[in-house]
Amino acid sequence: MEVQQFHYDNKIVQKFLYATMLWGVVGMVVGLLLAFMFLFPNLTDGISWLSFGRLRPLHTNAVIFAFVGNAIFAGVYYSLQRLLKARMFSDALSSINFWGWQLIIVSAAITLPLGITTSKEYAELEWPIDIAIALIWVVFGWNMIGTILKRRQRHLYVAVWFYLATFVTVAVLHIFNSLELPVAALKSYSVYAGVQDALVQWWYGHNAVAFFLTTPFLGLMYYFVPKAANRPVYSYRLSIVHFWSLIFIYIWAGPHHLLYSALPDWAQNLGVVFSVMLIAPSWGGMINGLLTLRGVWDKVRSDATLKFMVVAITGYGMATFEGPMLSLKNVNAIAHFSDWVIAHVHVGALAWNGFLTFGMIYYLVPKMWKTTLYSKGLANFHFWIGTLGIILYGLPMYVAGFTQALMWKEFNPDGTLVYGNFLETVQQIIPMYWMRAIGGTLFIVGMLVMVYNVIVTIRKGSSVEDELAEAAALTRVTGRRTAGETFHTWLERRPVQLTILATVAILIGGIVQIIPTLLVKTNIPTITSVKPYTPLELEGRDLYIREGCVGCHSQMIRPFRSEVERYGEYAKAGEFVYDHPFLWGSKRTGPDLLRVGGKYSDNWHLNHMYDPQSTSAGSIMPAYQWLVKNEHDRSQVEAKMNAMVTLGVPYTDEDITNAQQSMAEQALQIEKNLYSDPEFVKSYEADKKYAEENGLEFVEMRNREIVGLIAYLQRLGTDIKVKDNDGLLSENK
Amino acid sequence: MSVIYVLLSISVCVAVVFFAAFIFSVKRGQYDDSYTPSVRMLFEDEIIKKTTKNNNQNKSQTD
Amino acid sequence: MSSSNCFHCGDPCERTAVFFDGKDFCCNGCKTVYEIFQTNGLESYYELEAAAGSTPKAMANSFDFLENQDVVQKLLDFDEDGIQVVQFHIPQMHCSSCIWVLENLNRLNGSIKSSQVDFPKRKVRITFESHGFSVKDLAVLLAKIGYEPSIVLEDYSEANKKVDRKLLYKLGVAGFSFGNVMLLSFPEYFEVQEFWLDQYKPFFRWLMFAFSLPVVFYASQDYFKAAFKGLRSKVLNIDVPIALGILTLFVRSTVDIIFDFGSGFFDSLTGLVFFLLIGRFFQQKTYAHLSFERDYTSYFPIGVTRIRDTMEEENIEIYKIRQGDRLLVRNQEIIPVDSILITGHAQIDYSFVTGESESVPKSSGDKLFAGGKQLGGLLEVEALKSVSQSYLTQLWSNSAFSKNKASEFQTLTDAIGKRFTIAVLTIAIAATSFWVWYEPSKALNVFTAVLIIACPCAIALAAPFTLGNLLRIFGRNGFYLKDTNTIERLAKVDTLVFDKTGTLTSNSGNTIVYEGLELTDDEASLLKNTLRASNHPLSRELYGILKDQEIMTLDDFVQSTGKGVQGTLGKHSIKVGSAKFVGNQSVKGQETSVHISSDENYRGRFVFKSKYRKGLVSLFKKLGNSYSLVILSGDNDGERRKLQNMFPFQLPMFFNQKPNDKLEFIQSVQRRSNVLMVGDGLNDAGALAQSNVGVAVSEDVNVFSPACDAILDAKKLTVLDSFLRLSQQSIRIIKWSFLLSLCYNIVGLYFAVTGQLLPVIAAILMPLSSISIVVFTTLATNLFGSVLNSKS
Repeated sequence: MEVQQFHYDNKIVQKFLYATMLWGVVGMVVGLLLAFMFLFPNLTDGISWLSFGRLRPLHTNAVIFAFVGNAIFAGVYYSLQRLLKARMFSDALSSINFWGWQLIIVSAAITLPLGITTSKEYAELEWPIDIAIALIWVVFGWNMIGTILKRRQRHLYVAVWFYLATFVTVAVLHIFNSLELPVAALKSYSVYAGVQDALVQWWYGHNAVAFFLTTPFLGLMYYFVPKAANRPVYSYRLSIVHFWSLIFIYIWAGPHHLLYSALPDWAQNLGVVFSVMLIAPSWGGMINGLLTLRGVWDKVRSDATLKFMVVAITGYGMATFEGPMLSLKNVNAIAHFSDWVIAHVHVGALAWNGFLTFGMIYYLVPKMWKTTLYSKGLANFHFWIGTLGIILYGLPMYVAGFTQALMWKEFNPDGTLVYGNFLETVQQIIPMYWMRAIGGTLFIVGMLVMVYNVIVTIRKGSSVEDELAEAAALTRVTGRRTAGETFHTWLERRPVQLTILATVAILIGGIVQIIPTLLVKTNIPTITSVKPYTPLELEGRDLYIREGCVGCHSQMIRPFRSEVERYGEYAKAGEFVYDHPFLWGSKRTGPDLLRVGGKYSDNWHLNHMYDPQSTSAGSIMPAYQWLVKNEHDRSQVEAKMNAMVTLGVPYTDEDITNAQQSMAEQALQIEKNLYSDPEFVKSYEADKKYAEENGLEFVEMRNREIVGLIAYLQRLGTDIKVKDNDGLLSENK
Repeated sequence: MSVIYVLLSISVCVAVVFFAAFIFSVKRGQYDDSYTPSVRMLFEDEIIKKTTKNNNQNKSQTD
Repeated sequence: MSSSNCFHCGDPCERTAVFFDGKDFCCNGCKTVYEIFQTNGLESYYELEAAAGSTPKAMANSFDFLENQDVVQKLLDFDEDGIQVVQFHIPQMHCSSCIWVLENLNRLNGSIKSSQVDFPKRKVRITFESHGFSVKDLAVLLAKIGYEPSIVLEDYSEANKKVDRKLLYKLGVAGFSFGNVMLLSFPEYFEVQEFWLDQYKPFFRWLMFAFSLPVVFYASQDYFKAAFKGLRSKVLNIDVPIALGILTLFVRSTVDIIFDFGSGFFDSLTGLVFFLLIGRFFQQKTYAHLSFERDYTSYFPIGVTRIRDTMEEENIEIYKIRQGDRLLVRNQEIIPVDSILITGHAQIDYSFVTGESESVPKSSGDKLFAGGKQLGGLLEVEALKSVSQSYLTQLWSNSAFSKNKASEFQTLTDAIGKRFTIAVLTIAIAATSFWVWYEPSKALNVFTAVLIIACPCAIALAAPFTLGNLLRIFGRNGFYLKDTNTIERLAKVDTLVFDKTGTLTSNSGNTIVYEGLELTDDEASLLKNTLRASNHPLSRELYGILKDQEIMTLDDFVQSTGKGVQGTLGKHSIKVGSAKFVGNQSVKGQETSVHISSDENYRGRFVFKSKYRKGLVSLFKKLGNSYSLVILSGDNDGERRKLQNMFPFQLPMFFNQKPNDKLEFIQSVQRRSNVLMVGDGLNDAGALAQSNVGVAVSEDVNVFSPACDAILDAKKLTVLDSFLRLSQQSIRIIKWSFLLSLCYNIVGLYFAVTGQLLPVIAAILMPLSSISIVVFTTLATNLFGSVLNSKS
């Protein structure tokens, strides 16, 4: 038996490449639209499914899971086959992986604009889609491991290890963060509440970045950079050390996203320490990547592919340096909630993920279609305009974040805030938002140029969908006499099986542990004054979630004088015990809302929602007029309350049976309050009359969504105001 | 906060899994040779029709 | 004379150049390889790296011994239902092209299924189908394409050499546990008396305990063993306080968490072991493709051809040679045993075994010594002894080869360790007794605290990192040391002994000068043509340097072995050979020379002077200041005067030294001083083994060099002084770092003795001291090392 001939599956790679480019454009265009909404708040006037709050998660999901996700699959499906000298384990699985993933993306693109969201960052998708993701991900892993088993190259190149780690960890993270209790087909509540939910969310959120945006791309880096430069990686030994040290540290850095939050200090500090430790392996990897190009810088000058990769690796270096810095408490105190974080993530996303993907595309397309790139000139143009775009995006956002954060903290000698009005700090950075929008535009232009370049290249090329290759099969040499290699075949399979089994074991083990914690009434030293939401508030809260208010408004007052001065008493862990999910938020484009309850009149809220600029001149919040017009569907409240009971919220049975009635009463009260404003009465009565005359059915104000929302907003943070010192003491540290 | 138990045990379990993978890979001699693989991965094993053809093949990496 | 370079191997194309397929080749061998690759679709070979090939040696059926099944069986890694796996050592491989072609052997022959290269070890492991294809065919195939496997007696033992990965496992275990324990121990440092923390404490602590178990009972085994060994042999080595520390750490911590005294020192414990192991790991830098253990077995062939009484040839293992056996020795083959020459023109090169620079002719009935290399035709010899009894091989029965220098030598660390341990114990006891009298409840706490804090992690790290790093610096500069221990011994050396042939002189050719009357053009051309016919090594060498003449066929050519050759063309004849042969006794002198007489009247002689390496003089001047130097040569004293002129200062020289003499000489010197022996051949093996540090000089570090403590790239011989100085500086660095770590210990001891050692303090001090030591040593060594880089 001599060498075997087999075919590499290029078709699947090509498919993923197409998808990458398509979703890349979509995701970034949405992002650009959002960027412009900072400048023209009512750009998408009145169209609920194009409102900022709903598009923001669409943008993040499209870029992370659609663009980067498909890029990962493309790169993995290409390099894995060649590193293992074997076709993918199963074409069926491959195409299930592909079409399944695209289906998920489409469903995300439909549900998110419709306001169907869990509001947990990077995990907004509702439970049916979560399940689909889990399944498709398993298919991907199954396909990958299958290929590893039938490989023709005994050694597993370091890239493969990165891929494996990605699969295992993302699976675990996704499943545990997405544990939620369904209420309806497309509605669920996170099983964790408040602080716990926050902790899980950021344990996930951080590791999603770590294992979805970093490890797979490191794998790709270790494959495509040497390939493109046609020289071995600077130090293979270092790359192995890089992998293992990264794996052993990364998983623990999560809590740094919650610094100064109500999370216990020691948990926060733990996050800090491990985040700082991360610099070592990350920079080890970066240096290894860059040094691979030592001696071929002339090549870098001429070759766009390498240029992209150099910037990508540099971006990785910057981001992995900035990350730990941001996790330092005093830095975080400034950066958190500000645009600095936006700058940070975009340097990562645009430079590291974006440019590495572009580099990969420029390398793969000519290979896939057996031709040369249509225009190097255009590629270089893409590179330069893209780089300029990143700079124009990054710098202004750093400045914006820094400026605004400092303004938030600036005091007058008399102890009052210099910029008491939040809007002043917003107005200050509008020019930065302009530059950001321009930078983004440039980046997208570059991207479109690439798409054109690629399309023309493909046109002139000839696609080889199954590429013939040959390699000798691994001969199962059993009981060989060389030490350490006895029972080779047995060992060969063992680690893989072990990985699978162990993962399953974790899942089961984890769930077993999780059940009791769910049944526990509450895990926080309760503040006696903190009560569950009333049915109407609960419904209102779901509107808050639906409209993605959390995207711009935090509900977490940190224990700084400036914040207490501006927003009120700082947040206590005990306040959130009934928050499924938590709504702390991560960005303050608008002010914090934790203590907004009772701050303004019901009318103010109504007007503000109808036309924000009317109540707050210069506000960049878009109008939410449909809330004022639409009838509020409160039919599911009992189901929701029952779900909450299961999750440990102490609703009594009569609470639930009387839910409708209590909602009616509270709504009516709010409607009464609204009547106190003659302006409102005039217009409202006018509408009513008009409807009657034209025989249109008319929705009473008390039945409209806005009322529910107002109910929730007015409740926010009010519990604590009820003086209850012993309650506070038990929590205060 | 009891969720700490969950997170910790999950993290530790994952760590253990990777640790096991590490031990097994060492046992299998994956790391005995920490140089050759980095060169090996550079080789193209697609079947080459003509010398000229494969010229472009290798070039295409460099240009 | 085309100035172009060979398309295959890159050597300049000279006389023998071949033009083929539009490309130049330096010889037919290269062209053949090119053809083979061409016809098997392996052209990419030349695209990966230009002119990467190596010229195949013309070696007719030199792998015959692979027909012997016993030999083959010993070589095979695996042999089952028609599949065989064999691992070959291929010194020639040097670049990615080599890797590529060796991993694509299956394209050259269908029977080969797969082949995997281990470049650092210069090995290729080949799986092939055994029917219709044999190990011999494989070896021949490889030789044909210029990758001749070196199969030597050594490989017998090597058949199943164990790959030791224990340290790697231990490192993994320690690192893994360390990481997790840190995660679990930190919270209690950050905050105390926090509602949730109090809830988790027990959970965290017991998890830490669990993680520390494998560290104590698996990862740190070696330290316990070493300490135990030390104590048994009444030596307080550095491992004693370490083991003591680890043990106390574990017990104390466990007690702490059981009785809820505190969170214990698990992080310090795991960290300590982890750092120590890193030190170990860093220290053991091995040059996988070099071997420091080689003896004659790695020089001798595995098998030879024996002629049965029935006059048919058979291949037998070299160990099977019995006295009286008739053996065949071919061109370029080693004479396996002391034997009597029966038939054939013997021209034996003993340079490697005796140090004689010049090959000697032997005629029927002469005694041939094992290890000599036959240059020229086929020989038939009769064995006088078995292999191990031979004159040369007996050398290895000397005790010098059995002793282990490293273990006999007491390292700086251990020297410190003794005093250190005593100091620590006294302090511990003193402090404890004070507390017993002052506040008994604290006594035990203090005692353990002292042992914990005084655990000499940093001290134990100083040497490994300093020496380990220096080892790498040396390696980068062509000086490959067996282990770090060698550096310490190197620093103590005060006498340097040099071998001459192959060490001070280079093996690559001699300088040839002509003394006498000018030769006419006719004579010159006749001389050249005469030499072409002769196969005597001197003739070939001379032929090489004479300028080209058009080729003429001689009317007559006579070769008289051991004397010379005579060529006749027309009425002119020319004699080339010994003085006597050309009829001129007057000339005397020991130098190797070839005499010429044309038509029976003496013209002159070509004197062969062995070429001395460049920069020797300045090197010896530098070394002379701080070391006593000796030259020890197996050669005759023909070059004595030359050497004396070279080195004006007084320099003792000894000639005609047999391998054993050298060994004994070293022994005698060692009574007074520490000796560094620099040699190259098997004849120096004894001296190298006996000396405190044996350095083998080698022009190509991948090919054979005798057992030694270090292999020095011949090109780097001239910077030997810098190497020696560096090794001394490294010792100084280590001493400084001892001081540094002592400071840390004193600080720690203050806390310990006053009974206020908190886990957090230990957790800070321990890594801090270790890391600062590592940084300091690395920086210092690199600083000093930079001298070398600037030199080369």
